[in-house]
Amino acid sequence: MSKRDTGRSEVLAAGIAEPADQVPLPPPDAKVSTIACEYCPVACGYKVYTWPLEKEGGPAADENALGVDFPVQQLTGKWVSPNMHNVVQVDGRPHHVIIIPDGDATVVNVGGTHSVRGGAIAQKLYNPQTPTVDRLQVPLLRVRGTLQPISWDAATDIVAEVSKHVIENHGELAWGIKRYSYQFYENIYAITKLGYEKVGSPNHAPHHAPAEGDDVPGFSDTGIDAFSAAFEDDKEADVLFISGSDPYETKTVRFTTWMAAGGAKIIYVDPRKTFTAAFAEQRGGLHLQLKLGTDTALYNAIVRHIIEQGWEDKDFIEEHTSSADEIAQDGKWRRRMFGLSFEGLRAYLQSDDAFTLEGAEQITGVPADKIRQAAEMLTGGGAAERPKTVILFEKGLYWSHNYENTAAIGNLGVVLGSVGRPGRAISRMGGHQRGGQSAGKYPIDKSPHEFQGNKIEMDTDRWTVEGKTRFMWVIGLNWVGAAACSQQIIDTLRRLVLETEPQVTSEDTATAIAQLKERIDNGGMVLVHQEIYENETTEFADLVLPAATWGEENFARNNAERRLRLYERIADPPGEARPDWQIVAEVARKMGFDGFDWADSNEIFEEAGAASKGSRRDFSALVEKVQAEGRRGHDLLREFGTTGIQTPIRGDGGDLVGTPRLHEDLTFKTASGKANFVKADWAAVKARNDLLAPVGDELWVTNGRVNHLWNNLFDFTRRPYAIQRWPMNFLEINPEDASARDIESGDLLRIESDRVRNQVGEEIQGSFEAVAYVSDIVPPGVTWTYFHYPKSHANAVVSADTSLQPISLRYNFKLGRGRVVKIGTTDLRERMPFAPRNLV
Amino acid sequence: MLNEPRREHICLSPPSERSRREFLIAAGATGAGVAAFLIVGCGDDGEPDLVMLGYPRQRIAALSELRQGEPVDFAYPAGGEQNFVVKLGEAAQIGVGPEEDIVAFSYLCTHMGCPLIGQYKDEHKIMGPCPCHFTTFDLRHNGMVVLGQATQNLPQIALLVEGDDIYATGVIGLFYGAGSNLRDARVEVRS
Repeated sequence: MSKRDTGRSEVLAAGIAEPADQVPLPPPDAKVSTIACEYCPVACGYKVYTWPLEKEGGPAADENALGVDFPVQQLTGKWVSPNMHNVVQVDGRPHHVIIIPDGDATVVNVGGTHSVRGGAIAQKLYNPQTPTVDRLQVPLLRVRGTLQPISWDAATDIVAEVSKHVIENHGELAWGIKRYSYQFYENIYAITKLGYEKVGSPNHAPHHAPAEGDDVPGFSDTGIDAFSAAFEDDKEADVLFISGSDPYETKTVRFTTWMAAGGAKIIYVDPRKTFTAAFAEQRGGLHLQLKLGTDTALYNAIVRHIIEQGWEDKDFIEEHTSSADEIAQDGKWRRRMFGLSFEGLRAYLQSDDAFTLEGAEQITGVPADKIRQAAEMLTGGGAAERPKTVILFEKGLYWSHNYENTAAIGNLGVVLGSVGRPGRAISRMGGHQRGGQSAGKYPIDKSPHEFQGNKIEMDTDRWTVEGKTRFMWVIGLNWVGAAACSQQIIDTLRRLVLETEPQVTSEDTATAIAQLKERIDNGGMVLVHQEIYENETTEFADLVLPAATWGEENFARNNAERRLRLYERIADPPGEARPDWQIVAEVARKMGFDGFDWADSNEIFEEAGAASKGSRRDFSALVEKVQAEGRRGHDLLREFGTTGIQTPIRGDGGDLVGTPRLHEDLTFKTASGKANFVKADWAAVKARNDLLAPVGDELWVTNGRVNHLWNNLFDFTRRPYAIQRWPMNFLEINPEDASARDIESGDLLRIESDRVRNQVGEEIQGSFEAVAYVSDIVPPGVTWTYFHYPKSHANAVVSADTSLQPISLRYNFKLGRGRVVKIGTTDLRERMPFAPRNLV
Repeated sequence: MLNEPRREHICLSPPSERSRREFLIAAGATGAGVAAFLIVGCGDDGEPDLVMLGYPRQRIAALSELRQGEPVDFAYPAGGEQNFVVKLGEAAQIGVGPEEDIVAFSYLCTHMGCPLIGQYKDEHKIMGPCPCHFTTFDLRHNGMVVLGQATQNLPQIALLVEGDDIYATGVIGLFYGAGSNLRDARVEVRS
């Protein structure tokens, strides 16, 4: 074949995924199920069609289950892309499956739109003909250094016996769980029933933080729920104020269907000039391109200017915000300590010239005039009719400076009265969906950690690094990459788990249990990793437990507008993999605990209904209804399809009524029922910035997500279509910083620092490698990387010293720093686009 | 059989002018080879439904007529599609011509089918952003998504150069809207 006679073979030689030029269509009698996307907090609704391998539908509307003629017209949401198709086992028989966005959807992804993540979600399902072939399928025990298959009975015996030994001999605090916070109500309920309620250990943390507790504590101290808004508020708004996340990249359909479609002017706050920044400016909005770590000063200045001009929502503040006396009587110590009345807020903001327009320009780099314009756009600048304003925020804000940044943006919402009304809201956007329906309460009284005499949740990473955790059960996350100062976690696990004697030398269950107990008594640790695929944390595990996941069990959870839906089982789990709740229940029974006799996930769902009462997830009315009618909770939820129902749900005569937005009665979650202002202490932030900022030839190394990928890539490294775009981790670097270091796009870089603060406040070395993506999307002095790419730990240059954020024990994930060094070149310029990602 | 009424009766009319023209274009363009069609059914209009059994070879443009950065439209493989061929001025994956910089793609965004006509950005060799949901495709890299929501690359038309003639010889990827390029790719573009 001549070089110019191109086609499929040459495409394959170029290393890209081979694209199909046809896709099987479902026959009219294909089985239809509903599900929501697994990934981002928008959670688009999808329809699932499964049918036996030997059948196929045709291109005419009456020949296929979609009821459409092929070719399909644009924007109908009925087309089946080849990445929406897969082959799976259903009850042991091979079936075609297509998972396509619900073209009939009237909520969330109206008309069947979707993101690149969810659009290809069919590729998530286990199919040994695809890269999903390495799904974990049987329990594994590390024997003489190698993971060996064992039976479920042996695996759960070992976990139960070792757990009992740790709790009896070393106390509950030595027994820990680290688990996802979001992976469905049924699993979280079972895990927390064991961890919080039965064992009662405070050594329990979510995937993203060293401690349980509120991720946006400064905001919550206003009394406003973190997920109060409905997506339709984005469309109703005149002005959208967006901080700490590029919604086009990471909450795509919320952006395209709700934010952009409503025509609101967008004020976008981000150190990077992303797609949404460019979009905002193109459509008459503002990009406030602040310096890293300066959000608190910026929002304090906007609020001060609003108050100085008299542009605040006076009626709302008069009627619905707390007085100093009311705050002093609040039952929560944090509110008493940091809560402010309107007068208190004004006095604080007037006390520091940092919050003048000019002072804030100096600190944030945002021109004073843009800060003034933002204040004017948000308020109407004294016009008779105030614009409707929605404020949305996420991790770029609260993983920079946790308490202060979330307090500062909360004050902006309260001063504008942007809450509880159509088109007027303040809310988190979310990083993942809301599956955290726990059983009982976190046992905070047993926590060893406190702030100024007040109990706070336990810093489990610090506890582990100090050698005090003897057993850790990691469920559904990559602890090594997820923790700040990743190398310290690696060093600790190597020392305590792999290098403390004895190691297991026999598959015999009794021998293994005895050896693991002995290691624990010798000051070592036992690590159990429950996962769908191996990751870097698995390298340190004694036991590996294979989990069944999305699409392999019936589950329920909420999205970021509290929309509760059933995620139906589509296909068989691989091998002997079991849903997390089932594994936990078996271990709990073997530990001697009662209350774990659920026959299926629906029984847990119904039990969890009572625990949800009074929360934003409250679905107790749904459970009460099915129990009165002798039905099953999951079955009723299935009838709500991709529309679901927004929680809290209330019963109204035999009907269930959802709640589109919270706080519609303008009462808040404080003792007075009124909203608070909260002190957003710039001095505390400034001191922390001074400690964490780059010096000399160091650059900021901040991080986030890109639209093609999600979280630690557990599905995406196994999705050729996605991974062709990002075959390795990358570092965006400004052309000025790149040329000073002789760096071009495609070069291999090491990002390194020898002063990364670890979990106990020492400075140690950390580094990761990435390919250079030279771009002016980042300003000089700032680099940006994917936050959780396998084997390339952005968190290796992030401080893990939670004593810097003692109120909430959160990591400063977004404030990494390091030197950037070219260590070689790659062939990626041939294979991967380095084109601008912010074209509008 | 209720599901397949279109295969129940015999077509009363011969292939129309349009389908015969498509047939002849395809057959003529292939030179040595003739594109084979199979009659698989009968349309509501009484015309036969044709399915191509393989991609034809079809002349789509002349090397000497292409100007850098100016897409030239063409239909391929069946006659109802909207595709473009463009000289990027920079070597591209499976590019043809002396500079290996000539590539051809479908105009239909593989996210939700919106046409990308008029969206080529020669500065970056990018097609897009799509006017509907802002997806951008890198034409140097097989139409790979730079940023955006499509679940496959922009379908690329395989090309062959002989003398001054540029031929289309196949399609890599599924056209938006189609279940099979060869069976039902005659997508009407509504701009």
